[in-house]
Amino acid sequence: MYRRLLININQVRNRLIHTHNTRLTLPSTKCKERESFAPVAWAPCAARPLGTSSISFSENKESSTSLSEDKGKTAEENEVNAEVNTDGQRNTEMNEGTEISNATLTSQLETEPVVKPEDRKQVEKTKSGKESLLELLGAMKVEVTTVRKIRPSKTPRMSERPNQEPMESTHSMFQRATAEGSQQHGTLNPELVAAVSAAASTLPNRHQAESELLKQLRKHEAIPDTQRRADIGHIISDMKVGKRPNGRSNVRPTSQIRFDDDGKGYTQDRGITSELDGVRRRKSPFTSKRLNLFAAAAEQDALSDLGPTLWDIDLVNQIVQATNQMPRNGFEEMIQWTKEGRLWLYPINNEAGLEEEASVPFHEHVFLEKHLDESFPQQGPVRHFMELVITGLAKNHHLTVQQKKEHIDWFRDYFRQKEDVLKEAEAYLN
Amino acid sequence: MASSCSQALRHHVCKSSRILRVHLQKAWPNRSFVLNPAADQQPAVSSPEEEIVIPKKKTWSKEAVLQALASTVNRDPTASDYRFQDDPYLTPKTSSEFKLFSLSQESGRNAAKYFISTYPKYFQKDYAQPHIPCLMPETLEAQIEEVSEAALIERIQMRKVKAAVDLYDQLQQAGTPVSLDVTNQLLDLICFYGDCDPAQENVPEQRNEETEDVQDEPQTKKGRASKASDKLKAAWKENNNAERIFALLSEPNTHSYSALIRGMVKYGAYSKAFSTYTDLLNNQLKADVSTFNALITAAPEVKEKYNEKWELIVDLLKQMAEQKVKPNLLTLNAVLKALRRCGTVGKSQAFPVISEMRALSIDPSLASYNHLLSIFYKPGAPFQGQTDILQEVMNEVSGKSFTPQDPDDAQFFITAVRICLDTKDIEQAYRVHELLGVGENWRLLGNDFQQNIYHARFFSLLCMMENIDVVLKWYRDLVPSVYYPSSNVMRDLLQALDTDNRLDLIPQIWKDLKQLGHGNRQTLVEELLTLMAREKQNQEVQETFAECALDIKKMYDTGDRGKVMMSWTAGSLSDLVSVLLAAQRRQDAWEILKLFKTHNRVPSEELLDKFLTCIKESGDVNQALELVQISAGFCLPGTPKLIQRVQQEFLLSEQQKSMLSDLEIQTFNSD
Repeated sequence: MYRRLLININQVRNRLIHTHNTRLTLPSTKCKERESFAPVAWAPCAARPLGTSSISFSENKESSTSLSEDKGKTAEENEVNAEVNTDGQRNTEMNEGTEISNATLTSQLETEPVVKPEDRKQVEKTKSGKESLLELLGAMKVEVTTVRKIRPSKTPRMSERPNQEPMESTHSMFQRATAEGSQQHGTLNPELVAAVSAAASTLPNRHQAESELLKQLRKHEAIPDTQRRADIGHIISDMKVGKRPNGRSNVRPTSQIRFDDDGKGYTQDRGITSELDGVRRRKSPFTSKRLNLFAAAAEQDALSDLGPTLWDIDLVNQIVQATNQMPRNGFEEMIQWTKEGRLWLYPINNEAGLEEEASVPFHEHVFLEKHLDESFPQQGPVRHFMELVITGLAKNHHLTVQQKKEHIDWFRDYFRQKEDVLKEAEAYLN
Repeated sequence: MASSCSQALRHHVCKSSRILRVHLQKAWPNRSFVLNPAADQQPAVSSPEEEIVIPKKKTWSKEAVLQALASTVNRDPTASDYRFQDDPYLTPKTSSEFKLFSLSQESGRNAAKYFISTYPKYFQKDYAQPHIPCLMPETLEAQIEEVSEAALIERIQMRKVKAAVDLYDQLQQAGTPVSLDVTNQLLDLICFYGDCDPAQENVPEQRNEETEDVQDEPQTKKGRASKASDKLKAAWKENNNAERIFALLSEPNTHSYSALIRGMVKYGAYSKAFSTYTDLLNNQLKADVSTFNALITAAPEVKEKYNEKWELIVDLLKQMAEQKVKPNLLTLNAVLKALRRCGTVGKSQAFPVISEMRALSIDPSLASYNHLLSIFYKPGAPFQGQTDILQEVMNEVSGKSFTPQDPDDAQFFITAVRICLDTKDIEQAYRVHELLGVGENWRLLGNDFQQNIYHARFFSLLCMMENIDVVLKWYRDLVPSVYYPSSNVMRDLLQALDTDNRLDLIPQIWKDLKQLGHGNRQTLVEELLTLMAREKQNQEVQETFAECALDIKKMYDTGDRGKVMMSWTAGSLSDLVSVLLAAQRRQDAWEILKLFKTHNRVPSEELLDKFLTCIKESGDVNQALELVQISAGFCLPGTPKLIQRVQQEFLLSEQQKSMLSDLEIQTFNSD
């Protein structure tokens, strides 16, 4: 299909370029006709990078209007054709929409050459122009959408973006489709009418031609709604809404031709294999090359040992103010209070509330013999008594080490004071 | 004994596991793929070489238990903010109430603090048994009266700039030497406050006082502008105390220079900061990282062209590397923030900067990502082919929990959701919202005002892109527990209802609107009426519409005290009449029709026509005549047609007929 089209395009173009010189008398009407139809017929796809066909069509138009730059043009066109070709190969199947457009295009292109022979008269040329116009109109599809969700006011930017995301382009397509549909409800599109009268003005029997054309157009209007719906339904069912895989940069040169979402080529393009490719090839900008200013293992900056400066405190303060510090529930409020020191610490182990003794190891509490030094007798009832005392103290968890020491000291003093009495009773042995 | 025993045991386990593995592999060779990973791990764990380190003590943070408990509590979408749960009477229903209540709570706290600090002598009794310092009054008056270095330190700690400077001068005059450290602290103080005494510490809540909820976009700008003006209010003065004291120093060190440069940058003396830096280099000193950060912040201010700005930044970074100064996160953020003002250079250099810092094991914070997004998506500028950047950033941050490290961290979510809104990227918006739920990230959404902006943007994006069921799900989830929508957002919601043909929900939305305090927004109410009047719904819906319409009428009649009264327009009145007529409430509609006269509005002909049709169904001749009279009273050009209709369609008595013909003549004459 594409191949044939391409061949057609080339043939037509060459002939056009040759014959255009002879048709110098009429270029203005010709152009007018084409230009006035191009937007109408191709409005849904002109702004989007929809099809190869639309691009080659516009190419064609350009070439037919520009008379001077033949050489440069052809080179460019060949390039475009090459691109078209690759695209065509890649996209083995075509969706309905493009088929239609291709059909129209070929039909138009096929009718064009009829004009070519040099000795033909103007009337005949315009007649063929009229025929092509009719063909074009006949191939035109009126798109009506049943989709409700359109927000033209909120999606103004979409049409401006050349490289649209698939999701968005479907949106914009609906939007345009409806816009057109609504325009064609009731009366004919004024643009169409203007185009028709412009075309008709080139004919000898102007009024008749015009009414003929308009009749043809109205016939389209008469296409029952159900058929239209079926039409759009078909298109929609064929359509795949592309979900962009994460983390894949789909950067394409804008000049490159790209199929829209409703083309099968699209799915092939973004099929599983290509997606895997994308994953493999995926290159996050975050892994871009570094500036190489610093040595990789720069040594740690010597921290100022003066403690936080005013600036550090302010930074913390700013951060606290910038962030949301409001508690969301009671527990968070308790956390806040704990941090402020307003709330007694929630016990997280069995040492809660052990502030003053936190640094004292347990053996200081338990092994108290070292306090029974030479100030106490080495044996006898006093020694025995004191051993009982330290055993009791060792088991007492209410007293701090300091208090235990004081306790022992008290006994030391006491026995020292009573030394005489004890000696008398022979209880104080040394 | 025990250790040898365990050794033997370990060997045994090791051996048996190996044997088992061999057996297993023999038995199911085809399944070895599955078994291998698990089996391979075992010897690694129990290998005799590896030392098992048993920690002596597991230290828990003080809040560990509370944090664990707090993590079990989820947000209740039906409850109001925790702040207001103490008093159900004060549960805010509108955004203004929310603002009022939260601010009054905060100001109550401030007032209490003010009194305690002003009259400390009345608050000396210490009730708390372990002493709680934060409940006691702060000492605001200097305790040390004599002229000494200790007194200077005290004044510096109390942040009394003027008093500290005076004392320093006195010390100088007395010939008492002040140590360099203390002088540096003094310099810090002066530079930090720009040689002015600090104002009363402001509380985060107070900042949003003047903000209104009418529109989001201009306000952010206003907020930023006011913040900027705050900073610029006090400019760096030539030869101020900081410079004077600095000049007195015989051997200023890095810290002194750092204080001076940071102060200059903070108060807008950018070129001066750079000359001070040259001075520092001439004195054979090294700058510290905070000095460089300040200079990088100042770099875009001193150069004109994008290239020059960037070259200056690179130059500073090179000098950092030369002086062996390790950059920190704030350096990264300062560079990125400066790149925001470097146009296209920013776009090309942002990622290399991040990679550079990554290589130095500095991970970007949310502020870095915020700057990155701002570099690539300028507000108002067209965005082309940059949607990927947000996606890349989201790929980077998704699922991570961030701790606040930079004051700009709190801007990230707002920026990200703005970009989502601009690019209509609902997918990324969901990811942003998901990120908000991770860990402590909700703290980084910022204060109430920022939360409001975030939710407004997120919700309008939802209204735009999602179908109505999803929108309503979010609506029920967010409103009013975390978000009080503005009237603009409510209009978005109405549009979403319209596009998805769920106009039957309008009465419900109206109730919410009333509760949210938008019941007197004329444009919104008129839109609501238009939507209700536009199409004919089924009977049940029409009935609820009529109730809703009468409720709206009440809103017009009473008007809350102190609030703007809405005025009837011809459009709103006729919408109201059509809604009531569609619900077969002729009597109510008749009342409304009379309002046209009292409010000097003119009904349209179609409306009267519709009304007549409705009257005809009931066959009330008198009312039909009255209708004609009303029409004639307004001198409507359609009156003769109405008269004709009445003459044809109703059974008239003689008197009525004559009256009609009189009217006909009248209108004919007036024409």
